[in-house]
Amino acid sequence: MSITTTGNLGPMILQSLAPAMLYVPTPTMNYITVCDKVSMPTSGGTTCRFMRPRALIPPTIQLGNAGIDPPAQVPQRDIIDAQMAFFGTGCIINEQVILQDQEGVLAWVSERLAVAMRQAEDLILRDYIVSAASQINAGGGSNGDNPTNLGISDFSLVATTLDTNNAYKFMSGIEGMDRFGTGPVRSAYFMLSSTELQTDFDALVGSGFLSQWNYPTNASALPSEYGSVFNVRILTSSEAPVARQASANGGDVYYNTVLGKQAITHINQDGYSMNLIYRDPYYSGMLAQNATLAVKFAQAQAITQDTAIRNLLSTRLANLSP
Amino acid sequence: MTEYSRLAKGFFTSTGAAQVIKLPFQPDAVEMWNYSSYGTPAQHGVPYAYWDVNMGQGFAVEQVFNATPVLTTDTVTTNGISTFAAGQLLQYGAQLQIASITKANPAVVTTGSAHGLKSGDVVILSGLYQSSTTGMQQIAGMPFTVTVTGATTFTIPWNTNQSNYTALSGSPTGAFMRKVLYPYLYFPGTSVISAITTGTTTTVTTTAAHNFVVGQEVAFRIPTIWGTYQLNSLPNSVVPGSPIYGYVVSVTDYHTVVVNINSTAFTAYNSNQVFASFSGEFFPQIVAVGDVNTGGVQISANSPLYPSPYLVPIGTTQVSTINGPAILGSYVNNTSQGFVIGAGAGTNDASSVLVGANGNVIYWRAFLHDMSVPF
Repeated sequence: MSITTTGNLGPMILQSLAPAMLYVPTPTMNYITVCDKVSMPTSGGTTCRFMRPRALIPPTIQLGNAGIDPPAQVPQRDIIDAQMAFFGTGCIINEQVILQDQEGVLAWVSERLAVAMRQAEDLILRDYIVSAASQINAGGGSNGDNPTNLGISDFSLVATTLDTNNAYKFMSGIEGMDRFGTGPVRSAYFMLSSTELQTDFDALVGSGFLSQWNYPTNASALPSEYGSVFNVRILTSSEAPVARQASANGGDVYYNTVLGKQAITHINQDGYSMNLIYRDPYYSGMLAQNATLAVKFAQAQAITQDTAIRNLLSTRLANLSP
Repeated sequence: MTEYSRLAKGFFTSTGAAQVIKLPFQPDAVEMWNYSSYGTPAQHGVPYAYWDVNMGQGFAVEQVFNATPVLTTDTVTTNGISTFAAGQLLQYGAQLQIASITKANPAVVTTGSAHGLKSGDVVILSGLYQSSTTGMQQIAGMPFTVTVTGATTFTIPWNTNQSNYTALSGSPTGAFMRKVLYPYLYFPGTSVISAITTGTTTTVTTTAAHNFVVGQEVAFRIPTIWGTYQLNSLPNSVVPGSPIYGYVVSVTDYHTVVVNINSTAFTAYNSNQVFASFSGEFFPQIVAVGDVNTGGVQISANSPLYPSPYLVPIGTTQVSTINGPAILGSYVNNTSQGFVIGAGAGTNDASSVLVGANGNVIYWRAFLHDMSVPF
């Protein structure tokens, strides 16, 4: 007697698609999170213009009794322009795919296009910040490179720099609570860092680094928030910029962007921050019927407060393979 | 061929160095014809070349004139034709061993093998130790625009003929240079300062192109040890909280600008940094702030900066982007993609140059196909 199994039975379709798609590894998008958002109006031209008035001299000297007015001050202003640019990508899908495929190809392609677009927004901001924001090399670390790994004094220096420049902090502090292992969190600027630096942050536990888990409450913590040091709260992402082998000693250089409010502005046009374009399959040849799915968006960006942003460059304490 | 393929054509006059062609796509095949070489057949001339993406980046097949001159065939395996995408952060070329750096102004860098650079390219240097306590680590990590003086030599705009610098020689272990492939994705931006001349106006020289225009508002970030820290855009003591800015009154050349700040009484700039202090040292910078402004200086009705940058006669100095002309001084997105015709030599004829000689007129055609066989 023989037993019939799938192994000796004749060919048949023996596949079943699992009900849920596997996740696609996607980095957290920190740059778009922390920038100001501005929308240009429709028919508003190609360029978004920001105006910042200059402060007037405070009149701290008494007028006296001469009856003569002091000279008038001339108001000054600063102009910052950001030119709109368009970005987009798409996919062409033959109608046979739509007819025959068992799962919703159009649905997941749409989802992937949307994610690609959101990532593009973030990456454009990232690259722009690296190009245009001024830099401080970390010097508080101990690895002897230039820049060094992040030392506790580097956080102090960069926060002091922004404070001296009268930058606005993003977050108010978190008061301490009577919970073991927790500590209060200061009002803070954000630092956008690489996940590869998390081992370096861990090495600063006890020196001033407070893990997000040790906040008195996590209510105001962002999902990508790793912790805080002094007046800096650290958001990490695997897409943070790294210049490989670019330090003085040939190590990897990490761009840790520390910024306050209004430092970076992201501009869209008339809410045109994303446009998903679907075109039904149509005859593009004698027989060919192809649908298209595409995304397109308009974006400009500008450093709107140069005094409120610094790229704190660092290397790592040790080159570990992540 | 259906609606989805892409075709482009064009021409350029060769400089003898690699030619970048910007397109709205990255082609999978490129053809080129050297009109000058067809017109005047001569040994080593490359009248025709073809590249397909399946050959690999930097490859090509070509026709080459021999000594007769009669056309022969050859292949290029280095610095041939390749595609690029400048908009993907921080791309660097391969590490190349540094053989030596002179103690001179400007410093002369010699590489261990041909560097393939052209004047105007930007490089960074690292591992500049002659011994554990001497060398030029003070300038490691800075971006430098190079002036090419030979196949293995170039100069960098820095004065190393100072007491704290020691010449590099004998190909020190770990001493490398790398080309910064796309140094100006967005500009104007941040530039490292190599020299400052103080006076009633302040002349600033940068290590790489500053991309500033007249009227550009600027700020300074100068650590105290570099001197001239008084230029820093710290909050003004007269107007509390208001940062001190300057503005560019003239552009001398690609890496020199004159700023309106009177620095007569300021400390002299000092690029003679101590070798031992390189760790954690950060570089003096000049930073773009917004657009064509006046740095807070009152302007008169007759000033060329008045009334607004929109009305400044931008003429031939306007900055073009892929989206059209940009307002002077506005932040410009310089990301791009396309292909590069390199200055690589043939495998058989090492004296042939794919991109032709200086002055050669090159016609090209680029394709991105719907279909490639085999799939």
